[in-house]
Amino acid sequence: MLQNIKISPSPHISKHHSTQSVMLDVIIGLVPAIIASLVFFRMRAGIVLASCVISCVAFEAVCNLARKKPNSLGDLSAVVTGIILAFSLPPSIPFWVCIIGSGFAIIIGKMVFGGLGANIFNPAMAGRCFLTACFGTMMTVWTVPATIDSAMPQVGTVSEAPAAITQATPLGLIKDILKNKPAPQDEKIKAVNGIFKNMVIGSTSGCLGETSALALLIGGIYLLIKRTIDWIIPTAVLGVAFICAFIACEIDPHHYVLPWIHLASGGLLMGAFFIATDPVTAPLTKKGMWIFGAGVGALTMLIRLVGEYPEGVMFAVLLMNSISPLIDRFTKLTPTGGMVNA
Amino acid sequence: MNTPGKLTFKGGVHPPDYKDLSSQCAIEAVSVPKQLAVMLTQNIGAICKPVVNKKDHVTAGQVIGSNDAFVSAPIHSPVNGTVKDIALQSHPVLGRAEAILIESDDTNQQKWPRADQFNVTFDPAHFLPEHIFDSVRKAGIVGMGGAGFPTSVKIKANPQSPINTIIINGCECEPFITCDYRIMLEWTIQILTGVSLISRALNCGNVYIGIEDNKPDAIAVFEKAIHTMPCASGIKIVAVKTKYPQGGEKQLIKSITNKDVPAGGIPPMIGVLVTNVATAAAIAEAVVFDGPLTHRPVTVSGSGIKTPGNFYAPVGMAAGELIELAGGLTDDAEKIILGGPMMGFAVADLSIPITKTCGAITVLAAKDIVKRKETPCIRCGRCIEVCPMNLTPTTIAHAVKHNLLDTAQQYYMSACVECGCCSYICPADIELSGFIKTGKILVARQKKLMPK
Ligand code: SF4
Ligand code: SF4
Repeated sequence: MLQNIKISPSPHISKHHSTQSVMLDVIIGLVPAIIASLVFFRMRAGIVLASCVISCVAFEAVCNLARKKPNSLGDLSAVVTGIILAFSLPPSIPFWVCIIGSGFAIIIGKMVFGGLGANIFNPAMAGRCFLTACFGTMMTVWTVPATIDSAMPQVGTVSEAPAAITQATPLGLIKDILKNKPAPQDEKIKAVNGIFKNMVIGSTSGCLGETSALALLIGGIYLLIKRTIDWIIPTAVLGVAFICAFIACEIDPHHYVLPWIHLASGGLLMGAFFIATDPVTAPLTKKGMWIFGAGVGALTMLIRLVGEYPEGVMFAVLLMNSISPLIDRFTKLTPTGGMVNA
Repeated sequence: MNTPGKLTFKGGVHPPDYKDLSSQCAIEAVSVPKQLAVMLTQNIGAICKPVVNKKDHVTAGQVIGSNDAFVSAPIHSPVNGTVKDIALQSHPVLGRAEAILIESDDTNQQKWPRADQFNVTFDPAHFLPEHIFDSVRKAGIVGMGGAGFPTSVKIKANPQSPINTIIINGCECEPFITCDYRIMLEWTIQILTGVSLISRALNCGNVYIGIEDNKPDAIAVFEKAIHTMPCASGIKIVAVKTKYPQGGEKQLIKSITNKDVPAGGIPPMIGVLVTNVATAAAIAEAVVFDGPLTHRPVTVSGSGIKTPGNFYAPVGMAAGELIELAGGLTDDAEKIILGGPMMGFAVADLSIPITKTCGAITVLAAKDIVKRKETPCIRCGRCIEVCPMNLTPTTIAHAVKHNLLDTAQQYYMSACVECGCCSYICPADIELSGFIKTGKILVARQKKLMPK
């Protein structure tokens, strides 16, 4: 009977979860936002999502073959990258641009570093950054959601007449209103309040996954409850962003919008719950997570308030990714009770 | 009593406990096996040398191995019989180690636990601290929770570092194991007798018995007993949070006193003594009845065991014979572990004898073993979160893997208490604690290779 007996180091039991189940949880957390994007942008959302996810998975498979490494698709991380990349793109983006972005995300953002766990930058953000640099115009064409314009053209017609159905994103819109046409205070508040409500529900123009603050919040809370993500990074990102926005608004209410508007703009929630929390590219320690999250929040607001871009999450995350290893070194843990040499 | 379950430490995990497999099984005395192999290494510190020769006749309780060093504990024959040989024998940790093989000549003898011979009127004042120390030393008592540190050394009052808090460890945090739970229920007065003797030896009246809050009946039994037993009236029964490794001495001290033992240090540095309930029971027997430590409670449980149970087994009995007493292995048994599944040692040789420190044999069936296939670390930080020592297991393990022992040490590899929480939690199934243990061994070897 002893021939079945196996030997290995302790512990001999382990928690029944895996990288795959962690990634699956993230995907489940993204489902509300996926549904919202399909409601607001219909088939366009479907096309962008499908082309990003399928091409991310395909690129990963090709890379595995090329590197003669075992197939790593099972961990689902390529699917997560695909969804997040899709979410950060405008709905009108042509599918071939999605494929280029996915290629950059997976090949340059992930596989050249050695694959999952070894990459320095969030692959989806790397992909989006590349597209912003290469296809700047396409990346800033914002489609009006179907719920506002019921006549929103369906598949195929979008790229033919993009100008007819576009609108600036709320943040861009507000930035313009405040910069160029200083309106009377109450009128401005009215406009801004209207936008806020739409932003929470999601019926504003914007990137695929960023429109509905509510959907992102539901998914984010799911991940927090399942403890798939740590609460520190989202808290730090949103907290610091709020404080920055609040200060700016106090200093010059004519030029800067209420902090709530900034928080509700999906880009920030998306970043706080789903992008900055990417474990691979965030620091390991709790203290490090605070620093990282605070950095993402502060840089996002710096870019939004001072810079030319209405959005800032992508650059903020990429910049903080680059100093993540440094943060880890600065927040090195010391053992409980201090160390004595026994 | 403190609020149940609130007292805890940072980190730790919650593995399923499977205690109900054996928690209702009263401790059974076992008949003496025909052959025993009493290991000469049963304690931390100086290893015993045999004091009997081949073919000698020995009686139960007779010293068969000892060492004059202060940090050591003698070993005794658990049975009447003949020394058949002194030879190498499989050992769970050391691979092979010397043991005294005894062939018993009366396999009908059984040693029953003496629990019912203790009573509530016991007064430790009849025993002088030196007498208690002597009895404990002669009885060869070592920490029965697993570490095996000679208990006499711990209970010798040291004016340089006086003990101001005594903690009796009734937390059995490893899954499956229930023998401490059983003795808490069945040997309550004996344990309290032992505790009062420790308290007397160290002249320290600040005594806690820490029990996890998943054992409310054990807590209740002690609460009741301390009111009927005058010498135990000052003892505080504390419910601590059920969590692994709550039974680690550093973790238990943190939970109860909120003090940290420095990493790499020992509890007396902060004036605390921790000892386990089985050890306290052994002390009572040693001091009151001059009974040496020759038997101990052992849980035999797990999904690979037909009828799990708790046994009062002689030291030196082969693991396989205890397994037979528990109905034998199931057909799908896949791993035999001396100890619990979190820290125990997997063995493939059923002749390995139990020792004074072995409180359990756990046999896991295929269905309870997660097939590990290491995938890349996703830096999720879970291993850091659960590490009770606040280490960075992923960084240390990574360093060991790439033979960067200096880096591993810079991340305080030596502070690891090898609890296995990090490996347990890792979603990438990296054997973190395995790498860390390997790293420690490599460093130890390196140090020996390089003379100062
Ligand atoms: S738990 Fe595993 S995957 Fe997570 S950081 Fe630690 S080693 Fe990496
Ligand atoms: S590093 Fe050591 S002390 Fe920390 S969890 Fe892992 S095994 Fe336990």
